[in-house]
Amino acid sequence: MSQAIASTPHSKRVQRTLRGLTVVWTNFEGLLERVPIIEKIYQRTFRMEDYQAFLLNQRQQVVDGGCWIARAASHVDVEHFDLRSTFMRHAVTEHRDFQMLEANYVATGGTLKEIRERQKNIGAEALSAFMFERASKPNPFDLLGAMFMIEGLGSRKAREWGLMIQEQLQLEDEQISFLLYHGEHDDDHLAEFETWLEQVVTTDDIADQIIKTARIVARLYALQLEEIEYA
Amino acid sequence: MAGALLRLLRLGRTTFCMRAQITLYCLFIGRIAIEGDREGNREGFIVNTAYITATGTYLPGEPVSNNEMVDHLGRIDDQSERLGRLILRQNKIQTRYYVEREGAAYRETNADLAANAAKALLLKSGINADEIDLLATATTQGDLIVPGHASAVHAALAKQTTMGALEVASFQSVCASSIMATKAAALNIQAGQMTRTLAIGSEFSSRWFQPGFYQYVDIFDDKETRMAAEFLRWTLSDGAGAILLEDKPSNQHQSFRIDWINLVSLADRFDTCMYAGINPADQFSLKQPWSHYQGGPANATQEGAIMLLQDMALLKRIIRAWVGEYLSCIDEGKINPDNVDHLLCHYSAHSLREEIISILKTTGGMIDEEKWFTNLSTKGNTGAAALFIMLDEFAEKQIAKPGDKVLCIVPESGRAMVGFIMLTAQ
Repeated sequence: MSQAIASTPHSKRVQRTLRGLTVVWTNFEGLLERVPIIEKIYQRTFRMEDYQAFLLNQRQQVVDGGCWIARAASHVDVEHFDLRSTFMRHAVTEHRDFQMLEANYVATGGTLKEIRERQKNIGAEALSAFMFERASKPNPFDLLGAMFMIEGLGSRKAREWGLMIQEQLQLEDEQISFLLYHGEHDDDHLAEFETWLEQVVTTDDIADQIIKTARIVARLYALQLEEIEYA
Repeated sequence: MAGALLRLLRLGRTTFCMRAQITLYCLFIGRIAIEGDREGNREGFIVNTAYITATGTYLPGEPVSNNEMVDHLGRIDDQSERLGRLILRQNKIQTRYYVEREGAAYRETNADLAANAAKALLLKSGINADEIDLLATATTQGDLIVPGHASAVHAALAKQTTMGALEVASFQSVCASSIMATKAAALNIQAGQMTRTLAIGSEFSSRWFQPGFYQYVDIFDDKETRMAAEFLRWTLSDGAGAILLEDKPSNQHQSFRIDWINLVSLADRFDTCMYAGINPADQFSLKQPWSHYQGGPANATQEGAIMLLQDMALLKRIIRAWVGEYLSCIDEGKINPDNVDHLLCHYSAHSLREEIISILKTTGGMIDEEKWFTNLSTKGNTGAAALFIMLDEFAEKQIAKPGDKVLCIVPESGRAMVGFIMLTAQ
């Protein structure tokens, strides 16, 4: 999906995987259009209480995001050493993201205590449980499908939502930096993503598993947005 | 059951009457299939094969350059022209056509444009107008609100040709109405009901862009609404195209076999994106269309409910959904990009083409750019007419060799739709 790597040649199998992932992604984007809290952003009826609920409900999951990548890295064997290093580097760049999210919440008038004590909603529980379960298996390469979706959310949706929310609620940058920052940052991750696929997609079964995991993540991610609980 | 019917048809043991019954049965259960397999071969309950055997175009007046546009559309203000220059840099349209005026009155109607394209086609093909079994029209907006556009086109054609009574079908949507009309024209032949059908796409967009359409509207000062209106004002233009479908290829002209036609609407997930007839504030609820205003149409106009608008933010999201549908066609084996020899893809602006290409390249969905045929920059964006105007020039230039696969794609932003036609050059 990234423009930066548009001219890179790919094996047919990698192309097929990327095509399958892109179809999952575009269906996911369509699904998001009808998720109530996202629909409010697009239909310009988003309120401050929606934004605060969004941050409150995202925080625990963003904390988990850095953790499941780290766990997945620890289950990559020595034959895929390079990939393990990449996973670890990736986990490092992710694992402080939640602090920005917390700061945004506080900047909108919330308290740190409140956002840190908030429990995951039932969709986030399902998403997190699935990620950790997969990350605990040997060589969990199918999680590349999960990463494709999460990175897509960062590069395609976060900034789009961030700018629309900022305009509707007249927010200062420090109130919405988590969403805006993601959009600027995540294109590099997508460029990396294709080289990872080149390394691990050696059979059609692996390709299918990556695509299936992407579909599961799409469904569960939408579910945690559908299940957003208000303060 | 379906397999048994297919075998019966293939064995050729059915009488005409039985075939007609089977056809009706297939139509009834919604199983009439014009789907293609990996090689583009037709499969399913098709009685006859449909071919595009002739094409025709009508573009009113003379080509209008970018600098001359404002003389035809009328002047709103300086900001309009500044935005116009920006939009033209992005859509890369060099010339287009507008219906000309004689004094204050337009010289032609939308129905006239359609009839003129059909006449151009008939002249080229040598077919008499009274040999046509069906007139299927496609347009964004007919001249009248009631009745359907096909009736007006039929009347206009009958006045000038030997055309008598015949079956008509009016398809009103935006660009993809051309796919709907083509499918109706093809299905009637494939089902063995007809032998010659005409599909005509026509647009008279420029009448929507007269300054009078915006003059009462305070909300035109709103940045988003302004862009939603100006994008279309500097992109769309007038014209008509027609295609003739027959149950056998032409002896005189290059024909194109219809392999399959597919149309998918994504209105289940997307909001209205290109629209007229409602104030932008009601774009999502759709609760107050123009006809609901207590003060009548004059009130609706003053309230900004009669403007042609394009939601640019939503359009960006819908583009990715179109690409997703195209990639699904590849995954399902309907389209093999390596086997496509020519791509006729309708797009409203060159910048949108660039966005689509960047996604296709990484996903094995790209069709080499030298295989893309377009006349957007010279003929303008003519919406529902664009595919037929492209096909006409493509056929005239005899670009395709016999056996070449020609893929036509018509996305429509209206409420997110995309249509595909696979053709085989004869």
